[in-house]
Amino acid sequence: MVTRFTLLKELSAIVPDDVLVLTSIGNNSGFWGQLKDREANLFHLTMGMCSSTALGLSLALPNRKIVALDSDGNLTLNLGVLGTIANEAPKNLTIVLMDNQNYLGSNKHAPGMPTATAGKMNLEAVAKGCGIDSACTIEDAAAFRTRILAALSSNGPHFIRARVEPLDTDWPKKSKRVPDPRENKYQFAGYIQKTEGVEILGSGLGGG
Amino acid sequence: MKAEKAQLVIQGLKEAGVDFAAGVPDAQFIEVYKMLAEDRDIHYVGAANEAEATGIGFGAWFGGKKPALILATSGLLVATYHLARINLLHEVPVLVVIPYRGDIGDPRWMGLYKKTTEPGLNAMDIPYRIVSRSEDIVRTIKDCNKSARAWLKPVAVLLNEEALW
Repeated sequence: MVTRFTLLKELSAIVPDDVLVLTSIGNNSGFWGQLKDREANLFHLTMGMCSSTALGLSLALPNRKIVALDSDGNLTLNLGVLGTIANEAPKNLTIVLMDNQNYLGSNKHAPGMPTATAGKMNLEAVAKGCGIDSACTIEDAAAFRTRILAALSSNGPHFIRARVEPLDTDWPKKSKRVPDPRENKYQFAGYIQKTEGVEILGSGLGGG
Repeated sequence: MKAEKAQLVIQGLKEAGVDFAAGVPDAQFIEVYKMLAEDRDIHYVGAANEAEATGIGFGAWFGGKKPALILATSGLLVATYHLARINLLHEVPVLVVIPYRGDIGDPRWMGLYKKTTEPGLNAMDIPYRIVSRSEDIVRTIKDCNKSARAWLKPVAVLLNEEALW
């Protein structure tokens, strides 16, 4: 099995600048913030909120590629979103699921507690059963790269389940501060306003 | 509810500029959900639960949409964690429209929601207005949406049974 950091490094090397990347809380946000400091990131999407936020954004901006970096514990809290994604069928959405089969994988010293995927649950099968036809499982960097490149160049929705080590044993060098949710909101919304020509933040006076 | 009352809710959303909505149907507001699902100006997403709907609305806002959540009073309880999060941490505006069970006009057994709805909104620091007269539906929806967007936070409209009779 591969580590989360290895796959995120791979993604950081190939993801185009204009692809919007949304990250679940924990090490998906922490690592991605170190690897890819850019305006097109939305961090800190809490338990059960990563893929639903990505769905709303992908429907609002149907011509923009969107990648959700979700995780097993986060997604299973709100699993019904997979059915909603299948039915809404946004062509521009790719969900990358970092499936480390445990809660608190961001703990540095020992895995936390097992999620359902450490037992019998297979989230690729769940995604397919929900109606997301383009669902797969990868376990190494080469297959991950192939699947990401294919997803970013074809119509989705895509679901890539990445089976990763339960514990993050390798880490990016911490040299940057990941923006807090409010700071990140202004940065991300401002970037989308600039590149999509939509008004998001408004005047503060009720318009927009 | 009567179709003409549901139509007032839709009219309010449209005049407010709402172009995106998410929620989970409930009996009190079923006509509103049906109208939204058919509407060409508002993209309605039927979610599996109200927390999911909250995330969907939150994401749509970042894409330039003016989102509304259509939530039952029971659904507000389901949505609470994500609503609190987008209000208190992210500070992102969404209009929340709730058919208010347990208030004037409802049977006693609905009293659960009288005990949870307003205290819940207050605990999350989400401002709200209660509408008791149908003639106030459109204006209040517009006013609350305007304030949500000005304040960058969710604002709720509670429509009680008296307004929907």
